[in-house]
Amino acid sequence: MIHRFERRTGPLMVVLCLTLLLSACERPEIHRDRFIAFGTLVELNIYTSDRELVARATESVRSDLEYMHQTWHAWEPGPMSRTNELLSTGLPFSADPSVLPLILEAQRFYKTSEGLFNPALGALFALWGFQTDDPQGPPPTPEQIRAILEQAPSMADIEIDGIRMRSHNPAVQLDLGAYAKGYGIQQAMAHLRDLGVEHAILNAGGDLLAIGRPGNRSWRIGVRAPDGQGVLAAIRIQGEEAVFTSGDYERYYRHEGERYHHILDPRTGYPARGTRAVTVIHHHAATADVASTALFIAGPEHWPAVAARLGIDKVMLVDEAGVIHLTPAMEKRVTFEGTPTRRITSLP
Amino acid sequence: MTRADGLVILLAILLVMGSYVWLWTPATPATQVRVVAGDREIARLPLDQPRQLEVTGPAGITVVEIRDGAARCAASPGSQGICQQAGWLRQAGDMAVSLPNRVIIEVLGDEWAFDSVNY
Repeated sequence: MIHRFERRTGPLMVVLCLTLLLSACERPEIHRDRFIAFGTLVELNIYTSDRELVARATESVRSDLEYMHQTWHAWEPGPMSRTNELLSTGLPFSADPSVLPLILEAQRFYKTSEGLFNPALGALFALWGFQTDDPQGPPPTPEQIRAILEQAPSMADIEIDGIRMRSHNPAVQLDLGAYAKGYGIQQAMAHLRDLGVEHAILNAGGDLLAIGRPGNRSWRIGVRAPDGQGVLAAIRIQGEEAVFTSGDYERYYRHEGERYHHILDPRTGYPARGTRAVTVIHHHAATADVASTALFIAGPEHWPAVAARLGIDKVMLVDEAGVIHLTPAMEKRVTFEGTPTRRITSLP
Repeated sequence: MTRADGLVILLAILLVMGSYVWLWTPATPATQVRVVAGDREIARLPLDQPRQLEVTGPAGITVVEIRDGAARCAASPGSQGICQQAGWLRQAGDMAVSLPNRVIIEVLGDEWAFDSVNY
């Protein structure tokens, strides 16, 4: 009798134990945290069931981004500002290892962007008042702008031999603001992967890099409208992809009724005209960062040629009239909230 | 078609419908506001109880107002008023930020329309 009872209840007990065991396991979910680092708002989304991993990863991102912010800051004391001091002497010096890889890659991007990305123009950014946390103007005079452009500081003026570096142009002052965030996100994400994070989005100041996917779906990304009124479009991404936008609404000031934004055209010395925002998708965050700036400056007429040179095939540009220019590859990835005027442009 | 076939089809339909709701539910109205000052969460308050909160940061005082199921940055240091421009925060995930004062005001709910927003 007892034996028959055990035979009947045995499988039941196994099911009960399994149920209890499974209920003890946490289901993976998206853990979100928002904090201020790198001088901006940072959002970290991690899809996992491991809460301890989330805590370690968040701390890792915080400390990584704070270190990078301090190290690469263009106008606060640190390795980058020290590098600028040494570059202005024209004498050779041993480059700080914390900034050398950035400068080398920035030189490469300067060439491929045909000079539209020119972080050697730090003096111009300072002249416009954008090397402060709260830019207020007034804008510089045409004579002041001309004085800097006549000296033509560029990344090509920097000679690098191993760790030795010198500038052949005393006007070279580095400001890697259009690129350091992309490079930094890439580094911080690599660190997260080393910790064991497989599915995450790291968003710093609106620009983001994603890895993996949350369960059985893609990551859902909203692209904010340039006028600040809600979301312009939705993009689905999965695997390692970065989404970067450069917009005229990010950093700007008004002076005597005129609005001056921070994306300066190195050819004219003035804020670039014709474009409101450029969004780029690319697997490499630093490339996406540089490309969004360079394509913004290239403008609605010339961006396809520059995109082709930079190897970017997913581009969305919103021009001053609100017309949306898209590459065919980007069109496949975007869903618009309304029905804006669209123009599909193939790359040369 | 047997009764078992019908049951399998019914379960499949329920599974598809359940997955749709689970994966695609749009943003829901927020129920709570979370206020972060510096590196510390200083308040998590329900949105259905009107109140005002003053948050002291390195640049001055940020005023958080809660009313009618929403929260907003009513006043904050910063010459451009970026924190205040975010307006009333109603949908889960909406936020207002004062970088000079290192204050984050975000409203929370069960579902977010987007995993992250690019700008």
